[in-house]
Amino acid sequence: MSPPLRRLVLPLAVFAGLVVVWEMAVPALRIQQIVLPAPSGVVRTMVQTAGPIAFHARHTLVTTLIGFAAAVVPLLVMWFGIGAVPAVLTAFLLAFFPVAVNVALGLATLEAELRDVLRALGASRWQIFRKVGVPRTMPLFFASLKVAISSAFVGSVISETVASNAGIGYLMAVAASDFNTRLAFGGLFVLAAMGVALYGVFAAIERRMTAWAYAE
Amino acid sequence: MTRALERVSLEIERGTTVALVGPSGCGKSTLLKLIAGLVRPTEGAVAVNGLTVAGPLKNVGMAFQNPVLLPWRTVLDNLLLPLEILRENHDPRAPARALWGERASALLGTVGLAGAEHRQPRELSGGMRQRVSLCRALIHDPALLLLDEPFAALDAFTREEMWELHQKLGRQREFTGVLVTHDLREAVFLAQTIYVMSASPGRIVHVHRVGLGRPRTMEQLYSAEATALIRDMREQIRPSQRAVA
Repeated sequence: MSPPLRRLVLPLAVFAGLVVVWEMAVPALRIQQIVLPAPSGVVRTMVQTAGPIAFHARHTLVTTLIGFAAAVVPLLVMWFGIGAVPAVLTAFLLAFFPVAVNVALGLATLEAELRDVLRALGASRWQIFRKVGVPRTMPLFFASLKVAISSAFVGSVISETVASNAGIGYLMAVAASDFNTRLAFGGLFVLAAMGVALYGVFAAIERRMTAWAYAE
Repeated sequence: MTRALERVSLEIERGTTVALVGPSGCGKSTLLKLIAGLVRPTEGAVAVNGLTVAGPLKNVGMAFQNPVLLPWRTVLDNLLLPLEILRENHDPRAPARALWGERASALLGTVGLAGAEHRQPRELSGGMRQRVSLCRALIHDPALLLLDEPFAALDAFTREEMWELHQKLGRQREFTGVLVTHDLREAVFLAQTIYVMSASPGRIVHVHRVGLGRPRTMEQLYSAEATALIRDMREQIRPSQRAVA
Protein backbone atom coordinates (compact mmCIF):
# COMPACT_ATOMS: atom_id res chain seq x y z
CA MET A 1 0.00 0.00 0.00
CA SER A 2 1.46 3.37 -0.97
CA PRO A 3 2.05 5.84 1.90
CA PRO A 4 -0.62 8.39 0.85
CA LEU A 5 -3.18 5.60 0.47
CA ARG A 6 -2.24 4.20 3.85
CA ARG A 7 -2.66 7.65 5.42
CA LEU A 8 -6.19 7.70 4.07
CA VAL A 9 -7.18 4.11 4.73
CA LEU A 10 -5.86 3.61 8.28
CA PRO A 11 -7.84 6.42 9.97
CA LEU A 12 -10.98 5.37 8.06
CA ALA A 13 -10.50 1.78 9.22
CA VAL A 14 -10.16 2.92 12.84
CA PHE A 15 -13.29 5.05 12.50
CA ALA A 16 -15.28 2.20 10.91
CA GLY A 17 -14.05 -0.15 13.65
CA LEU A 18 -15.29 2.19 16.38
CA VAL A 19 -18.71 2.48 14.74
CA VAL A 20 -18.99 -1.30 14.50
CA VAL A 21 -18.03 -1.71 18.18
CA TRP A 22 -20.61 0.91 19.12
CA GLU A 23 -23.29 -0.75 16.97
CA MET A 24 -22.66 -4.11 18.57
CA ALA A 25 -22.21 -2.81 22.12
CA VAL A 26 -25.63 -1.17 22.35
CA PRO A 27 -27.72 -4.38 22.03
CA ALA A 28 -25.05 -6.57 23.66
CA LEU A 29 -24.94 -4.44 26.83
CA ARG A 30 -28.70 -3.81 26.65
CA ILE A 31 -28.27 -0.07 26.61
CA GLN A 32 -31.60 1.69 26.18
CA GLN A 33 -31.94 3.59 22.91
CA ILE A 34 -32.84 6.73 24.88
CA VAL A 35 -29.48 6.73 26.67
CA LEU A 36 -27.26 5.79 23.75
CA PRO A 37 -28.78 4.94 20.38
CA ALA A 38 -27.00 2.63 17.97
CA PRO A 39 -25.32 4.36 15.03
CA SER A 40 -27.68 2.68 12.56
CA GLY A 41 -30.64 4.23 14.41
CA VAL A 42 -28.97 7.63 14.40
CA VAL A 43 -28.36 7.45 10.67
CA ARG A 44 -31.95 6.36 10.01
CA THR A 45 -33.28 9.34 11.97
CA MET A 46 -30.82 11.63 10.21
CA VAL A 47 -32.13 10.51 6.85
CA GLN A 48 -35.74 10.99 7.94
CA THR A 49 -35.02 14.44 9.38
CA ALA A 50 -32.63 15.49 6.61
CA GLY A 51 -34.56 18.66 5.70
CA PRO A 52 -34.65 20.27 9.17
CA ILE A 53 -31.08 19.17 9.89
CA ALA A 54 -29.87 20.86 6.72
CA PHE A 55 -31.62 24.09 7.72
CA HIS A 56 -30.10 24.11 11.20
CA ALA A 57 -26.71 23.04 9.92
CA ARG A 58 -26.66 25.97 7.56
CA HIS A 59 -27.50 28.28 10.39
CA THR A 60 -24.63 27.01 12.54
CA LEU A 61 -22.25 27.16 9.61
CA VAL A 62 -23.21 30.73 8.85
CA THR A 63 -22.89 31.99 12.43
CA THR A 64 -19.57 30.22 12.78
CA LEU A 65 -18.22 31.64 9.57
CA ILE A 66 -19.40 35.12 10.45
CA GLY A 67 -17.78 34.85 13.87
CA PHE A 68 -14.70 33.56 12.20
CA ALA A 69 -14.56 36.35 9.66
CA ALA A 70 -14.86 38.77 12.55
CA ALA A 71 -11.87 37.15 14.21
CA VAL A 72 -9.80 37.41 11.05
CA VAL A 73 -10.80 40.98 10.40
CA PRO A 74 -11.12 42.58 13.83
CA LEU A 75 -12.71 45.67 12.30
CA LEU A 76 -15.79 43.67 11.37
CA VAL A 77 -16.57 42.96 14.99
CA MET A 78 -17.55 46.57 15.51
CA TRP A 79 -20.06 46.13 12.78
CA PHE A 80 -21.41 42.74 13.81
CA GLY A 81 -21.29 43.62 17.48
CA ILE A 82 -24.03 46.21 17.06
CA GLY A 83 -26.47 43.49 16.05
CA ALA A 84 -25.34 41.65 19.18
CA VAL A 85 -25.91 38.23 17.67
CA PRO A 86 -24.79 36.13 20.62
CA ALA A 87 -23.61 33.17 18.57
CA VAL A 88 -21.48 35.36 16.36
CA LEU A 89 -19.91 37.12 19.29
CA THR A 90 -19.21 33.93 21.19
CA ALA A 91 -17.61 32.33 18.16
CA PHE A 92 -15.61 35.48 17.60
CA LEU A 93 -14.36 35.67 21.17
CA LEU A 94 -13.19 32.08 21.12
CA ALA A 95 -11.58 32.35 17.70
CA PHE A 96 -10.02 35.79 17.93
CA PHE A 97 -7.46 35.26 20.65
CA PRO A 98 -5.57 32.27 19.28
CA VAL A 99 -5.24 34.07 15.95
CA ALA A 100 -4.26 37.43 17.42
CA VAL A 101 -1.78 35.99 19.92
CA ASN A 102 -0.02 33.85 17.32
CA VAL A 103 0.26 36.59 14.74
CA ALA A 104 1.58 39.02 17.35
CA LEU A 105 4.15 36.40 18.37
CA GLY A 106 5.31 36.04 14.79
CA LEU A 107 5.78 39.78 14.44
CA ALA A 108 7.53 40.15 17.78
CA THR A 109 10.12 37.47 16.99
CA LEU A 110 11.34 39.11 13.76
CA GLU A 111 15.14 38.84 13.60
CA ALA A 112 16.86 42.09 14.57
CA GLU A 113 19.38 41.69 11.76
CA LEU A 114 16.68 41.43 9.13
CA ARG A 115 15.01 44.56 10.46
CA ASP A 116 18.39 46.35 10.32
CA VAL A 117 19.11 45.24 6.75
CA LEU A 118 15.79 46.72 5.63
CA ARG A 119 15.86 49.85 7.78
CA ALA A 120 19.32 50.66 6.47
CA LEU A 121 17.69 50.88 3.03
CA GLY A 122 15.16 53.36 4.32
CA ALA A 123 12.32 50.84 4.58
CA SER A 124 9.37 52.08 6.60
CA ARG A 125 7.74 50.09 9.39
CA TRP A 126 4.83 49.43 7.06
CA GLN A 127 7.14 48.08 4.38
CA ILE A 128 8.90 45.79 6.85
CA PHE A 129 5.50 44.60 8.07
CA ARG A 130 4.28 43.89 4.55
CA LYS A 131 7.42 42.36 3.05
CA VAL A 132 8.58 40.37 6.06
CA GLY A 133 6.12 40.45 8.95
CA VAL A 134 3.05 39.20 7.12
CA PRO A 135 4.59 36.32 5.12
CA ARG A 136 6.61 35.30 8.15
CA THR A 137 3.54 34.93 10.36
CA MET A 138 1.57 32.92 7.79
CA PRO A 139 2.43 29.47 9.22
CA LEU A 140 1.42 30.65 12.70
CA PHE A 141 -1.65 32.31 11.28
CA PHE A 142 -2.87 29.12 9.67
CA ALA A 143 -1.98 26.99 12.66
CA SER A 144 -4.12 29.24 14.83
CA LEU A 145 -6.91 29.35 12.22
CA LYS A 146 -7.18 25.59 12.42
CA VAL A 147 -7.47 25.75 16.21
CA ALA A 148 -9.81 28.70 16.05
CA ILE A 149 -12.29 27.10 13.65
CA SER A 150 -13.03 24.35 16.17
CA SER A 151 -13.35 26.88 18.98
CA ALA A 152 -15.66 28.99 16.87
CA PHE A 153 -17.94 25.98 16.37
CA VAL A 154 -17.97 25.30 20.10
CA GLY A 155 -18.83 28.94 20.68
CA SER A 156 -21.73 28.99 18.19
CA VAL A 157 -23.20 25.74 19.45
CA ILE A 158 -23.05 26.68 23.12
CA SER A 159 -24.64 29.98 22.36
CA GLU A 160 -27.32 28.43 20.13
CA THR A 161 -28.15 25.93 22.86
CA VAL A 162 -29.01 28.64 25.37
CA ALA A 163 -29.94 31.69 23.35
CA SER A 164 -31.24 30.91 19.89
CA ASN A 165 -34.18 29.44 18.00
CA ALA A 166 -32.14 28.08 15.15
CA GLY A 167 -28.89 26.24 14.64
CA ILE A 168 -27.55 22.79 15.37
CA GLY A 169 -27.05 23.71 19.03
CA TYR A 170 -30.74 24.65 19.23
CA LEU A 171 -31.74 21.51 17.33
CA MET A 172 -29.78 19.34 19.74
CA ALA A 173 -31.21 21.10 22.78
CA VAL A 174 -34.76 20.63 21.47
CA ALA A 175 -34.10 17.01 20.49
CA ALA A 176 -32.69 16.30 23.94
CA SER A 177 -35.71 17.83 25.69
CA ASP A 178 -37.96 15.62 23.52
CA PHE A 179 -35.86 12.61 24.52
CA ASN A 180 -35.08 12.25 20.81
CA THR A 181 -31.53 11.14 21.51
CA ARG A 182 -31.08 9.92 17.96
CA LEU A 183 -31.69 13.35 16.55
CA ALA A 184 -29.36 14.89 19.15
CA PHE A 185 -26.61 12.53 18.07
CA GLY A 186 -27.44 13.27 14.46
CA GLY A 187 -26.75 16.94 15.19
CA LEU A 188 -23.49 15.92 16.76
CA PHE A 189 -22.48 13.98 13.64
CA VAL A 190 -23.30 16.93 11.41
CA LEU A 191 -21.29 19.26 13.66
CA ALA A 192 -18.31 16.93 13.56
CA ALA A 193 -18.50 16.70 9.77
CA MET A 194 -18.70 20.48 9.37
CA GLY A 195 -15.76 20.94 11.73
CA VAL A 196 -13.61 18.44 9.86
CA ALA A 197 -14.60 19.91 6.49
CA LEU A 198 -13.67 23.48 7.47
CA TYR A 199 -10.45 22.28 9.07
CA GLY A 200 -9.68 20.56 5.78
CA VAL A 201 -10.34 23.74 3.82
CA PHE A 202 -7.87 25.71 5.95
CA ALA A 203 -5.32 22.91 5.85
CA ALA A 204 -5.51 22.92 2.05
CA ILE A 205 -5.05 26.70 1.82
CA GLU A 206 -2.18 26.44 4.28
CA ARG A 207 -0.42 23.82 2.15
CA ARG A 208 -0.55 26.10 -0.84
CA MET A 209 0.54 29.26 0.91
CA THR A 210 3.16 28.16 3.41
CA ALA A 211 4.88 25.24 1.74
CA TRP A 212 8.21 26.99 2.35
CA ALA A 213 7.87 26.53 6.11
CA TYR A 214 7.81 22.75 5.89
CA ALA A 215 10.80 20.71 4.77
CA GLU A 216 9.78 18.18 2.18
CA MET B 1 26.07 56.85 33.27
CA THR B 2 28.59 54.74 31.40
CA ARG B 3 29.39 55.76 27.90
CA ALA B 4 29.36 53.12 25.24
CA LEU B 5 31.49 55.15 22.83
CA GLU B 6 33.70 58.17 23.21
CA ARG B 7 35.19 60.48 20.58
CA VAL B 8 35.43 57.96 17.81
CA SER B 9 36.51 59.08 14.37
CA LEU B 10 37.14 56.83 11.40
CA GLU B 11 38.79 57.90 8.21
CA ILE B 12 37.87 55.72 5.30
CA GLU B 13 39.32 56.37 1.90
CA ARG B 14 36.78 55.82 -0.85
CA GLY B 15 37.00 52.33 -2.26
CA THR B 16 38.82 50.87 0.73
CA THR B 17 37.75 48.87 3.74
CA VAL B 18 38.52 49.58 7.39
CA ALA B 19 38.20 46.99 10.12
CA LEU B 20 37.13 47.49 13.72
CA VAL B 21 38.58 44.99 16.15
CA GLY B 22 38.45 44.90 19.93
CA PRO B 23 37.21 42.98 22.94
CA SER B 24 33.59 41.94 23.26
CA GLY B 25 31.40 44.79 24.44
CA CYS B 26 33.68 47.57 23.18
CA GLY B 27 30.89 49.03 21.08
CA LYS B 28 32.02 47.87 17.62
CA SER B 29 28.55 46.82 16.56
CA THR B 30 26.99 49.89 18.14
CA LEU B 31 29.38 52.05 16.15
CA LEU B 32 28.29 50.28 12.96
CA LYS B 33 24.63 50.94 13.73
CA LEU B 34 25.37 54.57 14.55
CA ILE B 35 27.08 54.97 11.17
CA ALA B 36 24.09 53.40 9.40
CA GLY B 37 21.74 55.66 11.34
CA LEU B 38 19.91 52.70 12.83
CA VAL B 39 20.39 53.93 16.39
CA ARG B 40 20.64 57.53 17.53
CA PRO B 41 23.40 58.62 19.86
CA THR B 42 22.07 59.40 23.35
CA GLU B 43 24.55 62.26 23.42
CA GLY B 44 26.61 63.97 20.74
CA ALA B 45 26.28 63.40 17.02
CA VAL B 46 27.40 61.18 14.17
CA ALA B 47 28.55 62.61 10.88
CA VAL B 48 29.28 60.72 7.69
CA ASN B 49 30.94 62.62 4.86
CA GLY B 50 30.62 65.77 6.97
CA LEU B 51 26.82 65.41 7.11
CA THR B 52 25.04 64.71 10.39
CA VAL B 53 23.27 61.36 10.41
CA ALA B 54 19.65 61.94 11.42
CA GLY B 55 18.08 58.65 10.37
CA PRO B 56 18.81 55.54 8.31
CA LEU B 57 21.34 56.48 5.62
CA LYS B 58 19.59 54.53 2.84
CA ASN B 59 22.72 54.21 0.74
CA VAL B 60 24.33 51.50 2.81
CA GLY B 61 24.30 47.74 2.49
CA MET B 62 24.54 45.57 5.58
CA ALA B 63 25.34 41.92 6.23
CA PHE B 64 25.58 40.08 9.53
CA GLN B 65 26.79 36.78 10.92
CA ASN B 66 23.24 35.49 10.46
CA PRO B 67 22.42 35.73 6.73
CA VAL B 68 18.66 36.22 7.49
CA LEU B 69 17.36 35.29 4.04
CA LEU B 70 13.59 35.16 3.64
CA PRO B 71 12.71 31.44 3.43
CA TRP B 72 9.57 32.01 1.35
CA ARG B 73 11.50 33.78 -1.41
CA THR B 74 13.86 32.24 -3.96
CA VAL B 75 17.49 33.34 -4.05
CA LEU B 76 16.65 35.80 -6.83
CA ASP B 77 13.69 37.30 -4.97
CA ASN B 78 15.79 37.63 -1.83
CA LEU B 79 18.37 39.58 -3.84
CA LEU B 80 15.74 41.86 -5.32
CA LEU B 81 14.22 42.82 -1.96
CA PRO B 82 16.40 45.94 -1.53
CA LEU B 83 15.52 47.08 -5.06
CA GLU B 84 11.81 46.58 -4.37
CA ILE B 85 12.06 48.81 -1.33
CA LEU B 86 14.06 51.52 -3.08
CA ARG B 87 11.59 51.39 -5.97
CA GLU B 88 8.57 51.76 -3.69
CA ASN B 89 10.24 54.69 -1.99
CA HIS B 90 10.93 56.35 -5.36
CA ASP B 91 14.64 56.25 -4.70
CA PRO B 92 16.56 57.41 -7.77
CA ARG B 93 19.12 54.64 -7.22
CA ALA B 94 16.62 51.92 -8.05
CA PRO B 95 17.41 50.77 -11.60
CA ALA B 96 14.69 50.11 -14.16
CA ARG B 97 12.91 46.86 -13.42
CA ALA B 98 14.08 45.37 -16.72
CA LEU B 99 17.66 45.47 -15.45
CA TRP B 100 17.02 43.79 -12.12
CA GLY B 101 17.33 40.18 -13.21
CA GLU B 102 20.47 40.86 -15.20
CA ARG B 103 22.08 42.68 -12.32
CA ALA B 104 21.23 39.93 -9.84
CA SER B 105 22.52 37.21 -12.15
CA ALA B 106 25.79 39.07 -12.68
CA LEU B 107 26.33 39.36 -8.92
CA LEU B 108 25.47 35.70 -8.36
CA GLY B 109 27.92 34.76 -11.09
CA THR B 110 30.68 36.74 -9.36
CA VAL B 111 30.16 34.88 -6.08
CA GLY B 112 30.04 31.49 -7.80
CA LEU B 113 26.29 30.98 -7.56
CA ALA B 114 25.45 31.28 -11.24
CA GLY B 115 22.20 29.48 -11.99
CA ALA B 116 21.05 29.46 -8.35
CA GLU B 117 18.39 32.13 -8.96
CA HIS B 118 15.42 29.87 -8.44
CA ARG B 119 16.70 27.80 -5.56
CA GLN B 120 15.20 28.07 -2.10
CA PRO B 121 17.40 29.35 0.75
CA ARG B 122 16.88 26.15 2.72
CA GLU B 123 18.58 24.18 -0.07
CA LEU B 124 21.80 26.18 0.31
CA SER B 125 24.79 25.55 2.56
CA GLY B 126 25.82 28.09 5.21
CA GLY B 127 28.54 29.50 2.99
CA MET B 128 26.19 29.82 0.02
CA ARG B 129 23.58 31.62 2.14
CA GLN B 130 26.22 34.03 3.36
CA ARG B 131 27.19 34.73 -0.26
CA VAL B 132 23.57 35.50 -1.08
CA SER B 133 23.43 37.77 1.97
CA LEU B 134 26.55 39.59 0.70
CA CYS B 135 24.99 39.95 -2.74
CA ARG B 136 21.82 41.37 -1.19
CA ALA B 137 23.95 43.95 0.61
CA LEU B 138 25.56 44.98 -2.71
CA ILE B 139 22.68 44.75 -5.21
CA HIS B 140 21.85 48.46 -4.99
CA ASP B 141 25.50 49.58 -5.30
CA PRO B 142 25.65 51.11 -1.82
CA ALA B 143 28.13 53.84 -1.01
CA LEU B 144 28.97 52.05 2.23
CA LEU B 145 29.09 48.33 2.91
CA LEU B 146 28.75 47.61 6.64
CA LEU B 147 29.66 44.08 7.72
CA ASP B 148 29.19 42.85 11.28
CA GLU B 149 31.17 39.61 11.71
CA PRO B 150 29.74 38.32 8.45
CA PHE B 151 31.85 35.17 8.26
CA ALA B 152 32.08 34.28 11.95
CA ALA B 153 29.70 31.33 11.74
CA LEU B 154 31.48 29.65 8.82
CA ASP B 155 34.13 26.95 8.98
CA ALA B 156 37.74 28.06 8.54
CA PHE B 157 38.11 27.10 4.88
CA THR B 158 34.78 28.54 3.82
CA ARG B 159 35.69 31.72 5.68
CA GLU B 160 38.94 32.04 3.71
CA GLU B 161 37.00 31.52 0.48
CA MET B 162 34.70 34.34 1.57
CA TRP B 163 37.66 36.64 2.19
CA GLU B 164 38.87 36.07 -1.36
CA LEU B 165 35.35 36.64 -2.61
CA HIS B 166 35.07 39.88 -0.66
CA GLN B 167 38.36 41.03 -2.19
CA LYS B 168 37.15 40.13 -5.69
CA LEU B 169 33.87 42.00 -5.17
CA GLY B 170 35.81 44.96 -3.78
CA ARG B 171 37.99 45.22 -6.87
CA GLN B 172 35.02 44.83 -9.18
CA ARG B 173 32.58 47.19 -7.48
CA GLU B 174 34.87 49.51 -5.50
CA PHE B 175 32.63 49.80 -2.45
CA THR B 176 33.77 51.50 0.72
CA GLY B 177 33.55 49.13 3.62
CA VAL B 178 33.48 48.98 7.40
CA LEU B 179 34.08 45.52 8.81
CA VAL B 180 33.51 44.55 12.44
CA THR B 181 35.33 41.35 13.30
CA HIS B 182 36.90 39.29 16.06
CA ASP B 183 39.18 37.57 13.60
CA LEU B 184 42.49 39.45 13.36
CA ARG B 185 43.62 37.51 10.28
CA GLU B 186 40.37 38.49 8.60
CA ALA B 187 41.01 42.13 9.46
CA VAL B 188 44.54 41.95 8.04
CA PHE B 189 43.38 40.25 4.85
CA LEU B 190 40.44 42.51 4.10
CA ALA B 191 41.24 45.94 5.50
CA GLN B 192 43.59 48.73 4.52
CA THR B 193 43.28 50.31 7.96
CA ILE B 194 42.51 48.55 11.25
CA TYR B 195 41.15 50.39 14.26
CA VAL B 196 41.71 48.66 17.60
CA MET B 197 39.08 49.59 20.17
CA SER B 198 39.00 49.26 23.95
CA ALA B 199 35.97 48.69 26.12
CA SER B 200 34.08 50.95 28.57
CA PRO B 201 34.11 53.53 27.25
CA GLY B 202 34.54 52.29 23.69
CA ARG B 203 37.45 54.21 22.23
CA ILE B 204 39.90 53.80 19.44
CA VAL B 205 43.22 53.05 21.06
CA HIS B 206 45.36 52.08 18.08
CA VAL B 207 45.28 52.55 14.34
CA HIS B 208 47.23 50.23 12.06
CA ARG B 209 47.80 50.65 8.37
CA VAL B 210 48.12 47.30 6.68
CA GLY B 211 51.15 47.52 4.45
CA LEU B 212 50.38 44.43 2.37
CA GLY B 213 49.77 45.16 -1.30
CA ARG B 214 46.55 44.38 -3.11
CA PRO B 215 45.27 41.98 -4.25
CA ARG B 216 46.24 39.90 -1.28
CA THR B 217 46.88 36.19 -1.12
CA MET B 218 46.46 33.80 1.78
CA GLU B 219 50.22 33.34 1.60
CA GLN B 220 50.77 36.96 2.69
CA LEU B 221 49.03 36.24 6.00
CA TYR B 222 52.06 34.14 6.93
CA SER B 223 54.56 36.90 6.11
CA ALA B 224 56.65 38.38 8.89
CA GLU B 225 54.85 41.69 8.57
CA ALA B 226 51.35 40.21 8.88
CA THR B 227 52.36 37.92 11.73
CA ALA B 228 53.90 40.79 13.68
CA LEU B 229 50.82 42.94 13.13
CA ILE B 230 48.48 40.18 14.31
CA ARG B 231 50.63 39.59 17.40
CA ASP B 232 50.69 43.33 18.22
CA MET B 233 46.92 43.66 17.90
CA ARG B 234 46.31 40.58 19.98
CA GLU B 235 48.46 42.02 22.74
CA GLN B 236 46.63 45.36 22.51
CA ILE B 237 43.21 43.76 22.79
CA ARG B 238 43.99 41.20 25.45
CA PRO B 239 47.36 41.63 27.17
CA SER B 240 48.77 38.20 27.93
CA GLN B 241 48.55 37.15 31.57
CA ARG B 242 51.74 36.64 33.54
CA ALA B 243 52.40 33.01 34.29
CA VAL B 244 50.84 32.04 37.61
CA ALA B 245 53.64 31.54 40.13
